[in-house]
Amino acid sequence: MLSALIAGGCITIFGIFFGLYMFLAYVIKAPMLGPILGPVIGSLIVNKLLEMIIVALFCMIVFSSIIAAFSVFYLDDEIRLLISSPVAIANIFWSRFVLMLVESSWMASIFFLPIFLAFCAASKAPFWAFFLYPVYLFIYLLLPNVLGGLTALILGSLFPIRQMRKVFQFLSVLVLAGMVFFFRYLEPEKLLNPNYFPSVSTYILSLRTSSLDWFPSTYLREASLHLFAGRLSDSLEAFLPLIGMVLSGLLLLHLFAAAFYRISWQKSLEAVENQVLSLEWVRRILIYPFRWFSHDVRVVCSKEITFFFRDPAVFSQLFMMIAIVIVYGYNLSILPLKDLPQLYSGEMNDTLVYFNGPFIGFILAAISMRFVYPSISLEGRAFWVVKSSPIPPSRLMVIKFFLYLIPNMLLGWALCMISNSLFVVTSQTLRVISFANVTIMAVVTTALAIGLGAVYARFDMDNPLKVAGSFGGFVYMIANGLFIINLLACQVYPMYRFYFSRFYPLRDLTGKVLIGFSLTMLLVCVIAWSAIPLIRGREAIERYEPN
Amino acid sequence: MNQTDSSAQEIVIEFTGLKKTYGAFEAVKGVDLSVRRGELFGFLGPNGAGKTTIIRIMTGIIRPTDGRVSIGGVDLLAEPEKAKIRMGYIPDRPYLYEKLTPMEYFDFIGGLYALDPEIAKQRGENMLRFFSLWDWRNELIEGFSHGMKQKVAMSASLLHDPDILVVDEPMVGLDPRSVRLVKDFFLNLTKRGKTIFLTTHTLSVAEDLCDRIGIIQRGRVVALGSLDELRSRSSDVTFDLESIFLQITEEEDEVAHGNPPEARLPAAVSNEF
Repeated sequence: MLSALIAGGCITIFGIFFGLYMFLAYVIKAPMLGPILGPVIGSLIVNKLLEMIIVALFCMIVFSSIIAAFSVFYLDDEIRLLISSPVAIANIFWSRFVLMLVESSWMASIFFLPIFLAFCAASKAPFWAFFLYPVYLFIYLLLPNVLGGLTALILGSLFPIRQMRKVFQFLSVLVLAGMVFFFRYLEPEKLLNPNYFPSVSTYILSLRTSSLDWFPSTYLREASLHLFAGRLSDSLEAFLPLIGMVLSGLLLLHLFAAAFYRISWQKSLEAVENQVLSLEWVRRILIYPFRWFSHDVRVVCSKEITFFFRDPAVFSQLFMMIAIVIVYGYNLSILPLKDLPQLYSGEMNDTLVYFNGPFIGFILAAISMRFVYPSISLEGRAFWVVKSSPIPPSRLMVIKFFLYLIPNMLLGWALCMISNSLFVVTSQTLRVISFANVTIMAVVTTALAIGLGAVYARFDMDNPLKVAGSFGGFVYMIANGLFIINLLACQVYPMYRFYFSRFYPLRDLTGKVLIGFSLTMLLVCVIAWSAIPLIRGREAIERYEPN
Repeated sequence: MNQTDSSAQEIVIEFTGLKKTYGAFEAVKGVDLSVRRGELFGFLGPNGAGKTTIIRIMTGIIRPTDGRVSIGGVDLLAEPEKAKIRMGYIPDRPYLYEKLTPMEYFDFIGGLYALDPEIAKQRGENMLRFFSLWDWRNELIEGFSHGMKQKVAMSASLLHDPDILVVDEPMVGLDPRSVRLVKDFFLNLTKRGKTIFLTTHTLSVAEDLCDRIGIIQRGRVVALGSLDELRSRSSDVTFDLESIFLQITEEEDEVAHGNPPEARLPAAVSNEF
């Protein structure tokens, strides 16, 4: 099992690295712009993309660390024991900070590292840059964690952290502010459309200069560019201000923690609000239709929906997810699709639709990891209730599977509909294929989440972020990556024949047989990817013996 | 023998050769035991003797390594759903779904046992009034004390009106008034023909309530019978249950280790305390 997992992880990570490397290696030359201008603009576009990814990683880790800090600093049970011990408060805080750092960043690091290494490879960086770059990234990642930790400390000092309504009001303002900042100041749409600029030289100039002079990403970007070019001393010099920022941030955090951590933790015990966000009426509306279902379906679904609205640890994930979906939609909307047909063939948009499928799959997987994967674990220590009841655990899994499949599929269809309209899909067949793909991905991501969530259930954890960030969550993401690769591989031949049917009509028997074989394989794989995790999950929770 | 007598003799809980091992450790070593309808059976034993393991096996939470469990004539392992619907279970640690209110929790439990929601609601309300929790009916369980949670768990276990009630340490966390309330309630249930299988460390509770008592030690039942039968086995017929329990368990310790219990206390620990 472990060796299969390591192999799967390696394939997924290598897949990300290789896919992006091929893409960047092509863009860096920009052959459509000619042999002289192409490499100049191409490398600038790649550098700009690098900066955008660095900023996106920063924002993602800030939110992730704020959410992690709430539980690690304030809500975990073991803090009571630590606070009552004779250990200095600053030491307790730093031990919690390390925990928060790991929880908020480990998975993002694993998935982002191959992305950054692909930039290294595409830029033909010297071999030692591949070893130094992870060190740069680690130092860089400390900064959003320091910011997240500071935000949590300040929020904790201002009001009891369990009064989640205020915390969420604050966080939603922060998310909105982040969005405005991202879209208005970074202006990613200009990156892809030279028509925004009066001349090529202005365009090049805009690509060369950083969008955010004062932002930490600028220093990492500069250091990266020197590193890729093999200029070590220049790279270190460019990176120094970032190290200064990190050290100052850590010092500030230390001073804040020494002054406010104990007080804010004590304050966090003061109030427990019963209803989160006053959304009781929404909860009632959502559980209402289940009254027409069987008793067990009704009560399990009602409980899940109730937990979603009342557990701040679950609900808080929603902000990050909404942000991901908005960024996805916006990025699609800014693609210069209107200009593309002039440069490429008319099939470009249709091809993009095919490659957009896996992106929707990754969004569904990321959302399922936060909401669906932890659902079995969140039965928690009360799981004895189900185990001692006449409901078999397998029934619980099936109910949860269908309950979570509905929103997952609706979200997938919504994203598919938006992207199809933005891509102005001309082919009816392609539209049907894109919806079928999203349906398949929704089914498999949900089945994997419920199944692997049961196999790697952590009934001792009551925080979904921790559950998602545990070993099983990692396995889940790897499994999703492998499934998407598998899905693409099964479809590659039929899609190739479909796209080129205008020039290369399907008349030969071999082609028909290969398409038939591919689609049969697809069906078999989808059934296997859905059924095996659910069966393994059922076996695991039937075997599970609560303490 | 009339109909009532024969029904009272009916065996509703039966363990045959029940074993449970964890790796090399044998937690339960071939337990044979039967409990009759309407009986209040007390299961006593030192810490780690295997009481909770047996209770978890009979409620279907864990599977035995070997042996058979029959609940109301139904094989628990072969037909777990049919067997479980006849039972109510109150665990020693009342871990409940804390984001629900007691009434929502009752609705959830009622659904698992296929109970009509109106009946679950009615019975739940009655139980909350009985346990003086009515004022907290719309509060989340997460804000409840241990004793209050225990009362909610107790109420929920009775919603589907089970024939058999399995209770692990019922009095932990309850105030004296509630202890009295629960004791009377259990006696009332057995008068109505319900069977109660309880484990407790509070020997006075067992002494006051139980028709028969089983003592388990190191995974084996070492004594079984009514209080008088156990007393007759002891060295002094005036012994209370505590003295009987201590004598029996110490004798078993001597048999197991070949020396008196006090001699087994490590010297360092003896001196320290």
